[in-house]
Amino acid sequence: MFLSRIKRSIYLFLMEVVNIYMNTVDYQSLLDQVQKPARYLGKEINAVYKPPGDIDLHLALAFPDLYEVGMSHLGIKILYALSNNIPGVYAERVFAPAWDMEELLRTKRLPLFSLETGTSLCAFDLVGFTIQYELSYTAILNMLELGGIPLHSEERKKGDPFVMGGGPGVFNPEPLAPFFDFFVIGDGEEILPELLLEYRRWKKSGDAERRSFLRQIASIPGIYVPSFYEPVVREGKFAGLKPLLSGLPSVITKRTVDLEDSFYPEAFLVPYMNIIHDRAMLEIFRGCTQGCRFCQAGIIYRPVRNRSISRLRELGKNIIAGTGFEELSLASLSTSDYPGIEELVDALNEEFKDKDVQLSLPSLRADSFALRLADRVQKNRGGGVTFAPEAGTQRLRNVINKKITREEILGAAEEALFSGRNHIKLYFMIGLPTEKEEDLLGIAGLVREIAAVSGKAKKNKRSSFRITVSASTFVPKAHTPFQWEPQISLEEIKRRQNLLKREFRSNRKVNFTWHEAEMSFLEAVFARGDRKLAPALQKAYQMGSRLDAWSDEFSFSLWERAFRETGINPDDYAAFQPGYEDSLPWDHIDTGVSKDFLKKEHLRAIKGELTGDCRLEGCRGCGLKNCPGIQVTRDVPV
Amino acid sequence: MKYISHLDLQRTCIRALRRASVPVALSQGFNPQPRLVFAAPLAVGIEGRNEYFDLFLTSFWDGTLLKQVLQEQLPAGLEIKATLPVDLHAGPLSALVEAALYVALFPVFPEEYAHILTDILEAEEFIVLRAGKNKGREVDIRPFIYNLETKKGSDTTRLFMLLATGSRGGARPEEVLAKFPGETKTVKVYRENIFIQNGEALITPGGEALQEYLERLRKS
Repeated sequence: MFLSRIKRSIYLFLMEVVNIYMNTVDYQSLLDQVQKPARYLGKEINAVYKPPGDIDLHLALAFPDLYEVGMSHLGIKILYALSNNIPGVYAERVFAPAWDMEELLRTKRLPLFSLETGTSLCAFDLVGFTIQYELSYTAILNMLELGGIPLHSEERKKGDPFVMGGGPGVFNPEPLAPFFDFFVIGDGEEILPELLLEYRRWKKSGDAERRSFLRQIASIPGIYVPSFYEPVVREGKFAGLKPLLSGLPSVITKRTVDLEDSFYPEAFLVPYMNIIHDRAMLEIFRGCTQGCRFCQAGIIYRPVRNRSISRLRELGKNIIAGTGFEELSLASLSTSDYPGIEELVDALNEEFKDKDVQLSLPSLRADSFALRLADRVQKNRGGGVTFAPEAGTQRLRNVINKKITREEILGAAEEALFSGRNHIKLYFMIGLPTEKEEDLLGIAGLVREIAAVSGKAKKNKRSSFRITVSASTFVPKAHTPFQWEPQISLEEIKRRQNLLKREFRSNRKVNFTWHEAEMSFLEAVFARGDRKLAPALQKAYQMGSRLDAWSDEFSFSLWERAFRETGINPDDYAAFQPGYEDSLPWDHIDTGVSKDFLKKEHLRAIKGELTGDCRLEGCRGCGLKNCPGIQVTRDVPV
Repeated sequence: MKYISHLDLQRTCIRALRRASVPVALSQGFNPQPRLVFAAPLAVGIEGRNEYFDLFLTSFWDGTLLKQVLQEQLPAGLEIKATLPVDLHAGPLSALVEAALYVALFPVFPEEYAHILTDILEAEEFIVLRAGKNKGREVDIRPFIYNLETKKGSDTTRLFMLLATGSRGGARPEEVLAKFPGETKTVKVYRENIFIQNGEALITPGGEALQEYLERLRKS
């Protein structure tokens, strides 16, 4: 114990020396030696630089993936601009290093650094990770260790940063619990300013005890300090989390921002290098009431909150003026559902009529309304259109509550092809609850029907067209009606993928792609994981697992070994099929939607009953308090 | 700025022009693009001291004003040195580029290096292996090496490399530097200027003759 403390202080001292060195010399020479130096350059248009003397809180916004992925993410841009708008606060970005940069950092014993000032991660006050998907978990550990921050919350001492997590991934934070000091549940715009204020108050108070800061913020709604809670096991079974201190909430309720009045960035960062989504994003609304039963976003972002057309027009104008982006994407979970979407598109078209700005509408429904809408914004009608029927038969679409019929899909496909598009992309999911052979064959059947439609179109208009069919594998997610459902086994995933591959093999118009089965399996393990998974995660990381979402970096055998060596049977998680009365590892995180509603939805799913969209058909009783929709639909029986 | 690629640089300039509300003309065709064309792409990792691009506008803009509004929108590290109106019928600069002058800065330049220089210039050929589509291919770059000369300063020795560049083939500075033993990868290299053909002589796109330019450079 004593010895390790000595080692640690030497380490800290070295880090300090290195840090000074970093800022002045070696940072440049690193850039000369990596493949894509623009990933680590910073200095983009709208990047924020503040004089060191003006800063009393230094925040690292960390994204556990490469620059080109993280910079395509809306959340980090909102938080970056929001935090930097607060006087005294300086937020910088840190992304996961690519393999070549990691190797350089390790061989030269340099810490992972921020983009703006090249500050090592361990020198920040707060390090906040955006947690988007399960396969980024090892990248988080890698960034912590490379950044010189002890992996475990309990090992962090005075002077170490506080490590926090936010984003959709924290709605089941348990597999990450020991690595984080706290999690922020819900909309960041709502909670971050309050948290930063609290931190500055604590820092100014001169109280150096980490624990007292954590105790203080543990009472802020939406903040979850995992070390203050302990799993209770009764008769060998998980029986919920128990607060270890008095006065702590037993349930952490997510925070929800009033979107219309909330902060939205206008000075979007403009990257030098080509990133995944190289465009400005205008979030038109948050939340979704479609009610697809596999979808976690549809639950955790409730209620639906719209920005007004006038605000969106103003934001759109300023964003384009301040960035020079050629494209403005109207972001949401289901763009067709924006009330007044046509008026909005017209207003933006009017705003940009002399500006050569392309509007894009992702996440459209597969219907002719959506196509006409797309035609309104697309300057050239060629190119592709994407539909997500998700399942191959009406029965299974009813199970998942995807309210679209075969006729609507075929009608939309026909219209798409006749209007000059030459590419249709279709998203399906395999392994959905109750899926049978005929549902898989139904996918092939539906695609064949679309191909036949496009055959007709070919004679009339286009000489070439393609159909891309993409099949992902169902991953049961926490807080969804399907949280009680198992994932099908790895062997079964592969069998069903092979069945589809055979179906499409002879069809030259169809390009069939699928997700790697082992990745979906791993996702399922962690999506409904608990604290017992943390050692396996750490093991996999230590054995070399990195950036698992990049297939060339992914090694499943390594994960298998990590599970074996830590005594975990991953099937217990992926195939987890709890009863309704069982405590679930994420029950202490409250999305506002009641477990009872999820249960009812699950039962309706099994019976193949659709549940209407509450915005159109009245409140469905999801349990959400303060839902703005409730007033409108008060008279509708629940 | 030397860490961003040619395409990144182009995009950066286009977006700066858009922010500055400069009316850039678009190309014809199915997928119209802003008409901004760099004279000669610069490799990642090499700094450019005098780079050029052709820019087409939909209406006439005063050069001084253009320079000023564009400069305001460019990130630090990109400086507009001058704007020149060009006859619409003049060919694109990229088609006229003949040579580029690179400068490598050696902290030490031993006698051995001087011999290597002489050897390169006296040799009949200079074969390098370049990456091809499938396998590498051998290229003789000797005809593309127009001149190599050094100028010894107080703390560094400058190596001037006048190399052919453009559509008719060329040599790359790193190919020449690879001839020197030791860690030449860390030698700082920048592109000083590019040259176009003017009758028998080479001149900068701004009109300065190569010999005068070199003379001025040697004295600096």
